[in-house]
Amino acid sequence: MLYRVLAIVAVLLLAVGGCSSGQGAGQRTLKLWHYEGPDSAMGAAWALAVKQFEAAHPDVKVVLEEKGFEQIRKTAPMVLNSKDAPDVLEYDKGNATSGLLARQGLLTDLTDEVTRRGWDKLVTGESQTTARYDDKGVMGSGRWYGVPNYAEYVSIYYNKDQFAKYGIAVPTTLDQLTAAMDKFVAAGITPLASAGQEYPAQQLMYELALTKASRDWVDRYQRYTGKVDFHDAAWTYGATTFADWVHKGYLSKDSVGAKAEDMGLSFIQGRSPIMVTGSWWFGRLVKDVKDFQWGSVLWPGLTAGSAGNMWVVPKGSKNKDLAYDFIAITMSPPVQDALRDAGGVPLVRNGSASDPKAKEVTDNFGVLSTQDRLAFYPDWPAPGYYDELVSAVQKLTTGTATPSQVLDEIAKPYQENLANVGR
Amino acid sequence: MVLWSLVLLAVLMLVPFVIVAMNAVKSPAEYATGGPIKPPHGIDLHGIVDFWQRVDFGGKLLNSVVISGSVAVLAVVVSVLNAYALGIGRVRGRTWILVVFLVANTVPQEALVYPLYYLANQTGLYDTRLGVILVFTIIQGAFGTYLLSSTFVAFPPELLEAARIDGAGKLQTLLRIVVPVSRPTLGMLMVFFFIWTWNEFFLPLVLLISNENQTVTVALGVLQGQRMMDATMTSASALLGVIPAIAFFLVFQRTLTRGITAGAVK
Repeated sequence: MLYRVLAIVAVLLLAVGGCSSGQGAGQRTLKLWHYEGPDSAMGAAWALAVKQFEAAHPDVKVVLEEKGFEQIRKTAPMVLNSKDAPDVLEYDKGNATSGLLARQGLLTDLTDEVTRRGWDKLVTGESQTTARYDDKGVMGSGRWYGVPNYAEYVSIYYNKDQFAKYGIAVPTTLDQLTAAMDKFVAAGITPLASAGQEYPAQQLMYELALTKASRDWVDRYQRYTGKVDFHDAAWTYGATTFADWVHKGYLSKDSVGAKAEDMGLSFIQGRSPIMVTGSWWFGRLVKDVKDFQWGSVLWPGLTAGSAGNMWVVPKGSKNKDLAYDFIAITMSPPVQDALRDAGGVPLVRNGSASDPKAKEVTDNFGVLSTQDRLAFYPDWPAPGYYDELVSAVQKLTTGTATPSQVLDEIAKPYQENLANVGR
Repeated sequence: MVLWSLVLLAVLMLVPFVIVAMNAVKSPAEYATGGPIKPPHGIDLHGIVDFWQRVDFGGKLLNSVVISGSVAVLAVVVSVLNAYALGIGRVRGRTWILVVFLVANTVPQEALVYPLYYLANQTGLYDTRLGVILVFTIIQGAFGTYLLSSTFVAFPPELLEAARIDGAGKLQTLLRIVVPVSRPTLGMLMVFFFIWTWNEFFLPLVLLISNENQTVTVALGVLQGQRMMDATMTSASALLGVIPAIAFFLVFQRTLTRGITAGAVK
């Protein structure tokens, strides 16, 4: 027994040692991490970018590691502080993520490279906000710590067949949207697909608040440029209207326990004719909706959205020059076009897509971007705010708390965080 | 009556597995139109095959086997040595030592993460399988020590005395008497350690960052995107992830039952 056990140990330990392979001499490697699936628009476009990079750098081997979002989110500060950091990686934008890493000094300051390579001419307007962080890690000003490669925004997706069946016009204002939903409710249909357990419900409440908000309101909330009153007209309207919509049956009370996936399925299966959500669903809808025609239309006024996740270069990257070359390739027209054609929203627009739906999505982003209507996401201002918002909006959906109580609930962690960032 | 409630319980336990297995063999289009509960029309193995290739599942299996296997064996060795000193050797202050072990065992892993990360990073064991093996050998060994010590306390003193009269030293007594007699218990511990280590997610997630070192459970996490999930492929991966643990359990089931009853008779 004992000898057998010792033999097993020896074999296993040998296996551990034997697997650590040596590095090839002379050849450089670019270690690249991202967390997009191979079928997603970004995954497809970046696979092309890797190919182009390898063609342009024959002596460099690209080691692409596909990660899970959770793994990057939980381990990024630790990984970037070790010698095993990748040379370039995709990372989430916002104060609580990239801003925090920038403040901790774990990211390379890209400002010189950005101006030298002209990326600041490609990433313009509000899209720059999430790429730049000040010395407190607050976005919107200061040095560049990342380069976004795509964009995303929340809009209204609607089932054209259902709208035609009940003779309803495409809604372009909030009044038209509520009128349309009234007709669906009268016909016994729950018009709005939603999900209370994840981002959709909180984003809907934010969208509603945004209809009464201004750019200055968004800056105060997201960039701490001034006082935020959670009982002002916009927040009050957002919370009371959301509760009202539940009451009127626009969205189901049962959606409180639903996940984003359930919301999507409910739209894809044609059970709910309207879905207010982000462009990250676009590719999935193109692929999975088979039985009806659908389209997207802009949310009236400001809307949640921003430049997408960005490329960041860890402080400990050993091949920064290669990392910059790779980023440059992802910003180039062929890769951005590939991203667009695969159902993503490119940051750099060169002509329009041949597919009418893709054209709709990219053109709509053009409108938002030129009219300065991107308002980021409600969960950005404070770390851990996502879960607070989920639970608050759930209470609003079930009616266990009044709009005013809910606003008090979300005000607390926000104000606590203000003290932490020193504002 | 008892039988029926057992059947009911078994059905309830099996329902999630059935749903996972059902969705694992659906095509994504079928899932999109029918939802998760509807039974599949045919068997579509694309999700399973795609996932296998995408994450190089064979490599992850090898990693998991190497890590769990090493931990199972090493932790049992460590536990036996500790428990021999505490349970049979009757070291002074052993109750307190055991309490310390138990407390160390109840500390949540989230609290251990930063110190472990720091140590691993300083010693060059960060992102190595050896680092994870050491960490889990100690964690599992702490529990094993606690459990074995209490069974060793009840070890028949006649046997120990007989060994001493026959001129056996301390090491000989351990190897020739104690280990053979408690073999069923040790076997059971080893199986448990293997399965527990196999199912560990959080520490491997943090300590094994490069894909080539990852374990099965960590690889499953790759499919959870920031906002999107692929339900059919997630089910396929979940199915692939539990099969090895179930297979291992079935193979060693006899060891398990023997170990449990051996403990009970004493």
